[in-house]
Amino acid sequence: MVIAEDKEVDIFVASKIGSFKHIKYHTDSTKNNKKCIENLVEIKSLQKDDAITSMVWGNEEQTEILIGKKNQQIQVYDTIQGFTKSYTADFGIGDVIGLGKHKRRLLAALSSGVVQIWSKKENVVVNTGGKLDKMKVCDQDTTLFATGGEENDLKVWRIGEAAPLFSAKNLPHDWLQLRRPVWVSDLTFLSPELLAVCSRHGYVRLYDTRSQRRPVCNVEFQMAATCMAPAFDDRHVLVGFGRGQLQQVDLRRGKPDKAYKGAVGAVSSVVAVSGRVFSTSLDRHLRVHQGDSKELLYKQYMTSKLACVLVQTATTTPLKREDPEVKEEDQVEGTEVKEEDMDDIFENMETIGEKPSLKRNGDTGITETKKMKPSTEGSTVDIEDNEEDPEEAIVKLLRSTEKQKKRMEKKKREKKAKSVFHNA
Amino acid sequence: MARGKDKKKRKLEKKQEGDDVPKKVPHTLESLREKDETMLANTEAEEQEEAQKDMELDELSSYFENSYEPKVLITYSDNPHAKTRVFGKELSRMIPNSLSRYRQRSSVKRIVQSAIREQMTDVIIVNENQKQPNGFLLIHLPSGPTAHFRLSSCKITKELNKDHKEITTHRPEVILNNFSTRLGLTVGRMLGALFHYEPEFRGRRAVTFHNQRDYIFFRHHRYEFTPDGRRAKLRELGPRFTLKLISLQQGTFDSKRGDYEWIIAGRRHQMETSRRRFFL
Repeated sequence: MVIAEDKEVDIFVASKIGSFKHIKYHTDSTKNNKKCIENLVEIKSLQKDDAITSMVWGNEEQTEILIGKKNQQIQVYDTIQGFTKSYTADFGIGDVIGLGKHKRRLLAALSSGVVQIWSKKENVVVNTGGKLDKMKVCDQDTTLFATGGEENDLKVWRIGEAAPLFSAKNLPHDWLQLRRPVWVSDLTFLSPELLAVCSRHGYVRLYDTRSQRRPVCNVEFQMAATCMAPAFDDRHVLVGFGRGQLQQVDLRRGKPDKAYKGAVGAVSSVVAVSGRVFSTSLDRHLRVHQGDSKELLYKQYMTSKLACVLVQTATTTPLKREDPEVKEEDQVEGTEVKEEDMDDIFENMETIGEKPSLKRNGDTGITETKKMKPSTEGSTVDIEDNEEDPEEAIVKLLRSTEKQKKRMEKKKREKKAKSVFHNA
Repeated sequence: MARGKDKKKRKLEKKQEGDDVPKKVPHTLESLREKDETMLANTEAEEQEEAQKDMELDELSSYFENSYEPKVLITYSDNPHAKTRVFGKELSRMIPNSLSRYRQRSSVKRIVQSAIREQMTDVIIVNENQKQPNGFLLIHLPSGPTAHFRLSSCKITKELNKDHKEITTHRPEVILNNFSTRLGLTVGRMLGALFHYEPEFRGRRAVTFHNQRDYIFFRHHRYEFTPDGRRAKLRELGPRFTLKLISLQQGTFDSKRGDYEWIIAGRRHQMETSRRRFFL
């Protein structure tokens, strides 16, 4: 076990209707319940185009989340303060499919194939030449970002340069001399030079920007891959598929390695952190698997189709609900006080008939006695029990158990007599 | 023998007890079904609200806002035999504003494209195997979802010894029964969205999609109230068939590259863990 017993992991989940949730996942499975989930967006306020299409960490401390939406809104969420800033990516058409940050510059990519870099002085627009499905910024070297999409193969760019650093070359034609189709659905940086790519046409490829433009390794599958993430070992990636499979692919041997079972719908995003695999799926469930044993540790229904997942490892965030709950209690107390005031007023008022007030008094008296009753009864019974001889009690117990046994046997016999098979 | 005697005894006991004892509800697989966390009834208020919002924002919501009249295209696999053809024809009699066309060797994706162009709202494709209709693909346009059903025990009106002339052209009432989980709701909504949102009660026609143990039974009746108005007499009209969900896909049909919301292929043994577990 990589994680010690009962550690809390913070998971942030975004959905296709635009809801955004924080889940506190306990590694001790008994502590997980629905109270660990909280909504960070008001559900009533959601509109038709609020679908969240991309979500990444905004800084290394993992306290800032960048959220890209279908309506081209980009929001910055601070894990402590809440939503802080918002931008509009209206420099092109399409949804926001990739976000990133280099120092204070914000990068955003739209599905039509345009990437914009916001900085203080100027906004630079990069045209990637085709539709985009994914844009990602390299974690180790944030000046690098990679793009890919339908018939728009992998390209690696450096911020500030107009031409791509690296552009991938397709594999040679197949044995029928037909061109192999390209559709990058997701990509990930394994290191600044090593990139892995997965495709809706069912291949997973590894590119080494130092050696050649063609992939170093190519693994073929029969189903559409939708998302990927680096796995625990060197040159291993996790790949999620449109038919609900989640596999670990070994890109050194060029073979699929492990499969994490459980998803019923397409896997929409996956993260591997500290020995665990966190994945979201279109079947509206969040799943956590043990990395090495492939065991399903946790599964939670999240009511809407999930799109992205982030796992916080650098820091932790407390659940916000704890504070409001206290407040709510205060409020409730306040209202109660008011009610009492009202009662006072009513009591002070002159009443025409005395009955209601009497009734009320009687009621309160009853409730009071009721409240008193159980405690006193319990205590007396206890005392009585104690006063009885322990041996007598044992004898009683024995008798009762014997009776029970007899009853059970009788029942069994009756059942046997009734059953068809016995008679047959 | 013993059993028969028991029965007599039980009957006697029943008589002695009299009529005031409430009738016992028998346990069935349905009534003992495993609790499903996605069932709207067992969730908390907050989740219900979110599920409601989810439904408000999905692709089918515009139908439930009565913003358009459904227009349905019914087509078949290539070279359908008589029974499938008749079945399709009867479907088109049942669903108002629908037309049945031969496929002409067109691919599903192209059918979808042209149907969107013709402003259809749904496409039904009936597949056939060994002269029996066996597949039912339902595509909601213009942007999905796509449901694929297995079609079985299909009986056309002739096989029921009925006459199709009894079926009037009034818009039917739609009864969706027992769709309780989140998946079931989506499927029920898809099936409901085939029919016009405003039934013509004059016609006294009712079509029923009844879900029982994940099988969706379709029946088509004409009803008549008894003179005292307590009960309704039913007369079954027209085809009768059973559907079972195979997969539900996001977006229009793309079996190779699409994203599935729910698919049972390849994981049946993982999912069907108990006889009391149902998905719809």
